[in-house]
Amino acid sequence: MSLYELLGTVEVGLVFGLVSLGAYLTFKILDFPDLTVEGSFPLGAAVVATVIVALGWNPWVATLVAALAGFAAGWVTAYLNVRFNILHILAGILVSIALYSINLRIMGGPNKPLLGAETVFSGLDGWSLPSYVLSPILVFVLVLAIKFAIDFFLHTGIGLGMRAAGANPAMAEANGINVGRMKLFGIGLANALTALAGALFAQTFGAADAYMGIGIIIVGLASVIVGISLFPTRTIGQATVACLLGALLYRFAVALSLNADFLGLQASDVQLVTAILVVLTLMSQSSRLGLGRLLKRKPK
Amino acid sequence: MIEARNIGVTFNKGTPLQAVALRDVSLSVPDGQFLTVIGSNGAGKSTFLNTIAGLVRPESGTVAVAGSDVTAWPVHRRARLISRVFQDPKMGTCEDLTILENFALAHSRTHPRGFAFAIDRSIREKTAERVRLLGLNLENRLDDKVGLLSGGQRQAVSLLMATTGETRVLLLDEHTAALDPKTAEFVMELTRRIVAELKLTSVMVTHSMAQALHYGDRTVMFHRGGIIFDVSGERRAALTVAELLDLFRRDQGEELSDDALLLG
Repeated sequence: MSLYELLGTVEVGLVFGLVSLGAYLTFKILDFPDLTVEGSFPLGAAVVATVIVALGWNPWVATLVAALAGFAAGWVTAYLNVRFNILHILAGILVSIALYSINLRIMGGPNKPLLGAETVFSGLDGWSLPSYVLSPILVFVLVLAIKFAIDFFLHTGIGLGMRAAGANPAMAEANGINVGRMKLFGIGLANALTALAGALFAQTFGAADAYMGIGIIIVGLASVIVGISLFPTRTIGQATVACLLGALLYRFAVALSLNADFLGLQASDVQLVTAILVVLTLMSQSSRLGLGRLLKRKPK
Repeated sequence: MIEARNIGVTFNKGTPLQAVALRDVSLSVPDGQFLTVIGSNGAGKSTFLNTIAGLVRPESGTVAVAGSDVTAWPVHRRARLISRVFQDPKMGTCEDLTILENFALAHSRTHPRGFAFAIDRSIREKTAERVRLLGLNLENRLDDKVGLLSGGQRQAVSLLMATTGETRVLLLDEHTAALDPKTAEFVMELTRRIVAELKLTSVMVTHSMAQALHYGDRTVMFHRGGIIFDVSGERRAALTVAELLDLFRRDQGEELSDDALLLG
């Protein structure tokens, strides 16, 4: 693996770290398996590409708009669950399916190239270091800032309420927490992170694509599972670091397995490799770990 | 303080499983009274408590607490006025959070939650002071996760949490039933002490006739969705479990068949 490839993998790993943080919020904090991300990741990409290319807005503003669009998508999923009691998984599937059509509408076609357009990475040109070194650094700073913002949020009064709403809803209600509202906000937030990841990914990749979201849910989950099973998670700060490291490790595992010639794998095998990695992690995990237990059938 | 009027509750209405849980129940609990509620399984005592807490919406009647009609209020909104201790020690606390974080949650029941750190020095000091009352050395374990505590410790913590802040009404749903006898007595004595100190209006549902008569200052008995007797003052002070059973037999013309009630 060359330095160029290495830095590229780190950059993509960090971008998917945002998906991983989102999955941590939904699966671990809110106990709400959210599949909306399959639609909100390409939504973020579609929105950012369209706003930059068609409207000519500042790429940072466009990225923010993409995150807000993701928040709205997550909010709709949570609303279907909270207001109409639709099963959380089904609500997520419904919204992500709907988003597939919406994304095609937004882009006016199956993809939207960003080549030559101004992106958040354009400002890095003309520095003494090449952009393939600077853009991972930019993403790193951004992702780290978001990680600390999430850590802070989960220690505020409202954040603590959200943790209780996920861990023990009856107790949370008895302590005056509006559990439904916490879900709306938390699932919205998680999808805002996912859409942000989509927006950044599209700008690195140079295009938005309606099919970008396939398997994103597994990427997020795999990162969380790998992270929390390998690293300490005693505090929220440690757990979010674990999620980010999990995303990086996962990305490297995929890159290495696709690069290993003796395995004979091609780029199109990425989903298969992902699925196998998740299964291997779950198999190797001891049963005392939270998420592994959640996703495995209980032994009789 | 609590004013329940003509409460009617039917579960699974319109299905073959239809069951009337409460029929036209009216009960008024004045400010500062400690009411104990007994009754056999399915008598409606827990349904009544859940109706006050907001978990069950009555199909008829109204519930008022501290002068506000709360009949249409959801559980979390009522939490400002009413706090609860559950039967299951795991229910009253959040095991993934520390003792301190649990108290911060309970504190926010009567104080608005915001985007500031939930735990500050004042919460830490207040919590340490409160848990010192227990004599369980928990004041030195404030940053331990609640999941590390025993059932009895957790129930004691739940009780303290339920009585922090400015709550005026305390609902206890068989909160000692899942504990061993010695721990149950410890939690019960703690309950008596806190309720007396804070002059809380309390409703305690229990399976034990002895407990119902020994604690509090008024006892009502539920049977088949209604209140069959209501006793307080000197008459209650003189009442024994055996007399209570006689009373039941005479009024209902049937034997009380729930072992738990007799043995408790």
